[in-house]
Amino acid sequence: MKGFTLWFTGLSGAGKSTLSQEIEIALLERGMRVEVLDGDCIRENLSKGLTFSKEDRDINIRRIGFVCNLLTRNDVVAIAAAISPYKAVRREVRETIGRFVMVHCECPIPVLKERDPKGLYEKALAGEIKNFTGISDPYEPPEKPEIVCHTDKEEIEESVNKILATLEILGYIPKLDTAEYSAEEEAKIKQRLKDLGYI
Amino acid sequence: MKKIVILGLDCATPQLLFDEFRDALPNLRSLMEKGVYAKLRSTDPPITVPAWTAMMTSKDPGILGFYGFRNRAAYDYSSLYFANAKYVKEKTIWNYVSRNRMSSLVFGVPQTYPPKPLNGMMVASFLTPNKEVQYTWPDDVKAELDQAADGDYMIDVDDFRTDDKDRLLEQIYVMTERRWKAFRHFYKKDDYNFSIVVEMGVDRIHHAFWRFHDKKHRLYEPGNKYETAIRDYYVALDGEIGKTLELFGEDTAVMVVSDHGAKTMHGAICVNEWMQREGYLTLKEKPSSPVRFKMDMVDWDKTRAWGEGGYYSRIFFNVKGREPNGQVPAEEYDSFREEIKARLEDIRDEDGNNIGTKVLKPEEAYKEVRNVAPDLIVYFGDLDWRSAGSVGTGSVHLYENDTGPDDANHAQEGIFICSLPPERFAEVKDTFSIYDVAPTVLTWLGIDVPGDMIGRSLIK
Repeated sequence: MKGFTLWFTGLSGAGKSTLSQEIEIALLERGMRVEVLDGDCIRENLSKGLTFSKEDRDINIRRIGFVCNLLTRNDVVAIAAAISPYKAVRREVRETIGRFVMVHCECPIPVLKERDPKGLYEKALAGEIKNFTGISDPYEPPEKPEIVCHTDKEEIEESVNKILATLEILGYIPKLDTAEYSAEEEAKIKQRLKDLGYI
Repeated sequence: MKKIVILGLDCATPQLLFDEFRDALPNLRSLMEKGVYAKLRSTDPPITVPAWTAMMTSKDPGILGFYGFRNRAAYDYSSLYFANAKYVKEKTIWNYVSRNRMSSLVFGVPQTYPPKPLNGMMVASFLTPNKEVQYTWPDDVKAELDQAADGDYMIDVDDFRTDDKDRLLEQIYVMTERRWKAFRHFYKKDDYNFSIVVEMGVDRIHHAFWRFHDKKHRLYEPGNKYETAIRDYYVALDGEIGKTLELFGEDTAVMVVSDHGAKTMHGAICVNEWMQREGYLTLKEKPSSPVRFKMDMVDWDKTRAWGEGGYYSRIFFNVKGREPNGQVPAEEYDSFREEIKARLEDIRDEDGNNIGTKVLKPEEAYKEVRNVAPDLIVYFGDLDWRSAGSVGTGSVHLYENDTGPDDANHAQEGIFICSLPPERFAEVKDTFSIYDVAPTVLTWLGIDVPGDMIGRSLIK
């Protein structure tokens, strides 16, 4: 199989990391070569020291996109999970990579405030974190993502299945074979099982 | 790199492998002597589907949601569907191995058709309709198989119910030789963390030649032409295993397992003849000669229960509000079930001796009961008798199998041999569980055992 980049965008806490990990597992099980570039992790190494200014955010996304491109052209599935709030740099990355699928993890801010697993929204609202996307920094939603996951309404499994089904339809991943027996094949199997005493 | 290989012998049975033939099997005996061996308790029912998948997932048939080869899709009177790989929703050993970035060679495991992608390669087995279909992953393995097998790779033997025993015997040998040759070819070609090969020949030879071998079988004739057919086959298989073991390095653990055992079959109980005799089942027309029971023969207005044939029997009730034309009132379900259970357990042979039938309720046998389970699972004579599906036989007891000659039934205990020394084991017992195989494999490979697996790792 050829490589591609699966790019998760969305606000903090919208489910990008969770879904990217689930997709990683599902694709590994299908025998694909997969790497995940998670925003939080990237900011600990590849983009260490960068701030959350627009300029630095764009640099961060370009770096992630650069690595995704290297992986993709070597037939690895690169999964990026980063807020990636700005349209222009997302488009730039998409154009560079080519084999690119965007997933928008959409979740209303009131729900995210409620979830707030890392307590970030609380701090952002209290002004303790500056430039927090969705609160004190802009998020430009993608206009034409290949996939939208409404993570406030969908179960994780539902979103995962939606992503996998889309990737199958787009021909990026092998289909799980769901071959049905033809009537003739079924008759043959039935006869064999009968012959073998199973039925 | 840590590796583990499972050599699966469908139906290999402890009384032959551990006792009777032990001294004639140098390779298996050497594994037993340096490692650990025990009986392996199969699933209920002890049958190829669901047993291999239960072993590969550490989930019972209730959780898997299939209770045999054929299952009811709904509480109606339509025919049963075949549970092939499409219906396996639980994660297998190779799913976990793949997600942990390790690779698998899955060769001939029943119920893997149609093959699903994995990190590694797969050749599907039993339930593959024919060699024309795509039964390997990746696709190009199929083209290489015949070459690797040094001849036409055989998924299974044809014409099993044949009286031409010589031809069948030859087929079983050819199939086995080619399978192991091909397995070794692919094993050598790449580096796999987990490998498994399953040989169906043992099951086939048991069913076809048991009467010639088992001195206690009522049709056994001393000095018959095929007296040593089963033994000779085990010896040949031991030779294939020996050649295969030579390929494994010191860091490779080996398991030899079976999905169930075998024992002599006394005869068959015609479950639907019994149902009619006891007044549970009424047919629209009584057949005058033996025919296969079919759902459309049934007068559903006058039927409360019916059964399916096979090595064991599944009993289904015709329940008001559940089946389209149900007759057993839902509120009487439990008492009806107790009544029919007690009567099944009281089934006698023709001399009036109780044959010791075992009756299981799915919700007691399984951790969960998914999809459409039988209302009861029955082992006639604790599997000394099979369940015949035919009607019109004129008798509840049958001594010639209704679907052709067969002399062996499945036994609940199969085999387990592991090359790892006893010190590696948490506990050495005389019987392990089929559900412990998958957790043991994952533990050896350093993969955390998922909490929802039923079994436990046998090794520390």
